[in-house]
Amino acid sequence: MVPLSAAQRAFLLTLAARIVPWSSHLGPDRRDALLALVGDTLATRPPAMQRQFGLFLDVLRWAPVLRYLRPFDRLDAPRQDAVLRWFQDCPLALVRSGFWGARTLVFLGCYGHPDAGAAIGYTPSKDGNAVLHARARR
Amino acid sequence: MHARDADIVIIGSGAGGGTVARELAPLRAEGVRIVVLEEGPKLRDEAFTGREVEMARQLYTDEGGFLTEDRAMTIAFGRAYGGSTVVYTGTSLTITAGTLARWNVPDVAFEDVRRRSLKYLGENHVHLLDQADLNDNNRLFADACRRLGYRVEQFPLNLNGCKGSGLCNLGCPNAAKMGTHRVQLPEAERQGVTVVTNCRVHRLEDRTVVATVREGGPGEPPAWEPGEYRVRAKVVVSAGGAIGSPALLLRSGMGDALPALGRYFTCHPALILVGQHAQPITNYYGHPKSFYCDQFAEDDGFLLETCMYFPFTTAKSLTGFGDDHARMLAAMDHLQMILVLAIDPPEAENRVMLGRGGETVVRYAFPEGVRRSLVQAMRASARIFFAAGAERVHAPAATPFFIEAADAARIDELIPFDGLRLGRTTISSAHPMGGCRMGASVSDSVTDGWGRVHGQPGLYVADASLFPRCAEINPYVTIMALADRVAEGVRQDWPALEARSS
Repeated sequence: MVPLSAAQRAFLLTLAARIVPWSSHLGPDRRDALLALVGDTLATRPPAMQRQFGLFLDVLRWAPVLRYLRPFDRLDAPRQDAVLRWFQDCPLALVRSGFWGARTLVFLGCYGHPDAGAAIGYTPSKDGNAVLHARARR
Repeated sequence: MHARDADIVIIGSGAGGGTVARELAPLRAEGVRIVVLEEGPKLRDEAFTGREVEMARQLYTDEGGFLTEDRAMTIAFGRAYGGSTVVYTGTSLTITAGTLARWNVPDVAFEDVRRRSLKYLGENHVHLLDQADLNDNNRLFADACRRLGYRVEQFPLNLNGCKGSGLCNLGCPNAAKMGTHRVQLPEAERQGVTVVTNCRVHRLEDRTVVATVREGGPGEPPAWEPGEYRVRAKVVVSAGGAIGSPALLLRSGMGDALPALGRYFTCHPALILVGQHAQPITNYYGHPKSFYCDQFAEDDGFLLETCMYFPFTTAKSLTGFGDDHARMLAAMDHLQMILVLAIDPPEAENRVMLGRGGETVVRYAFPEGVRRSLVQAMRASARIFFAAGAERVHAPAATPFFIEAADAARIDELIPFDGLRLGRTTISSAHPMGGCRMGASVSDSVTDGWGRVHGQPGLYVADASLFPRCAEINPYVTIMALADRVAEGVRQDWPALEARSS
C-alpha cells in the first residue's frame, strides 16, 4: 500500500520535476511506476517514519507561504529551487535530513526504474569482461 | 507454535554463521543436531537479475538503506543465505598486526588470526585478477595514485569464474563470488546441517530460540513450514552481524548484566565520490573493485578504494539536485568512482540499542576526527580524479559541489572542513562492527576472546560485533577467522555443555 495521500503523491511529482528535471517528461505509466517505487519502499519502513515523511512533504509544500505567500507548487522554477536549496542547507540537521530523505526517494523513483539505466549510459552485461576485452582490442 | 529441539542453533549464515556451521558440521557424524536460522532468502541462481531495486529489496535489510537514529548515515547489510557475503565485492584482506595490537584482546594472538585467515583465503579461491580484466575505472585510479606518489595495492578477490558483470553488490549473476553461500554453507548442508531461510529470530529465552518462519518469502521454500517456533538448544551461536547480534541479546534481556552490550559500534563511515571524464571509460564492465590506497590510513584515518555503483546508488551519493546533478548522472559511462572509508574510533556512546517499540536503533555521533578524515579524503580523491584526467569532480563538501579541472590547484580551498554537513552529504556504511566486543572484563566487553558471552554458558557470538575496534580493512576474512576460533571453542566446550544440558 502507498502510504501517501493523493495530494502528497501529486506534490511528490512536482518535487521530482525540480530534483530530477527529466522526470517532468515522463508518461503516465512511468509516473505511476515512480510513485509505486517510492510507495513500496515507504511501506517497508516503520509507521512513524512514514508519517514523518508525509509531514515533511506537507511542510515543504506550505513553508514557502511564509516567504512568498504561495505554496511550493505555485512558485516559479527558480523560486522552487531556492526553497529546496534552503532546505538542503538548513542550519537544522533534522531539516537537512528530511530533505535528504525526500531527495533520495525521488532518485529511487527515477533512477531505480529498470528502464532508467540505458538512458544515462548504463547498460551492464553479465559478461562484462567480454565487452571489456573487445574494447581493449579496438 | 511449533516446538523443535536442536543441539546447536546458529543464528545467521554470513561470514560468521556460515563459517561456524561448516566448522561444526563434522559433529553431525556424532549425531549432533545443528540448525542455522537465516532471516533472508535463498535465491536460485537465475534470480540474481542485477536489477538494482529488485535485488536490494531481496538481499539487504531496508533495501540497503537502514538509517541511523539521526538519519545522518545509512548502513547496508545483507540478509540472505550467505548474509553479506552474497553482496560484498569479495575483497579479501587480512587484518594487520598493528590493528590487532590495537584491539588488545587477551588470548587473541596475531599469529592465530593470521593462520586462520590464510585458511579461508585458500578455501575461498582468493587471488589477484589478471591485468587484462582490470577496467579503466580501476587502472585510472592506480595510475593516478602512483603518479601522485600514493601507495596503491591490488585487492585479492575471492572469485571463481568471474565474468566481470560489475554487479557484485547486487549478488553475482554468474555464481562466481565465493561467499559462504557458495563454499561453507553447501558443505555444511552436505554433512547434514539444516539451514532454515526466511526465519527471523526474535529473542532468546535462556537457550530457547523464539523465531518465525515467514510465509510467502522470496527464494526457495524454507526447510521448515511457515509459522512461529520455539527451538530448544544446548548451544546458541549468534551470528546475525554487528547490528543483529547486539539487538538480539538486548531483546533477550541481557542489557543489565552486560553493560557494554551494543556499545563501541564502529562502521567505517563511507563516501562515494565521482569524477567525470570527457570520454567514456570502461567502469561498469569488469570487476568494480581492484585497487585500494592506504597511504592515508595511519596519519589521516581513511582508506580509498575503487568502486562502481548503480544508477540509484550513484544518484543518491551525489549531493545536490536539478540540472547539474542530472547532467553528471546522464554520463554514467564517463564516471570514475572512489569509495572513501573512514577509520572510526570505538566510542561507548556509539551503539546499537532498542527503540521504545523494541525496534533496532543505531545511535552514531560522528567523532570530529572522522569528519576531518572524510574531508581530507575528498581532497585526496579530487587530486586522484584530476591526475587521472577527469574534467570535473563532485565533492560533497565543496561549494558548489562540482570542481572543474581548471580549479584543480585550489582543491583545499574549495573543499573546506566546515563544508561537510551531516544530513546534506550522503554518508553510508557497509562495515558495521562492534557491539558485542571481545575482552577480558564484563565492564567493557560482552564476550571473551573465543566469543563466549560473559556469564552465559552455551551462548556465543561469531560475527563482526566481536570487533573491539574497527578492522581498518574490509572485514569479512577477519570475521571468518574469528568465527573459526569460536567454532573451535564450541567444540572444546561441547562435552561439558552437553553433559550440563542432560
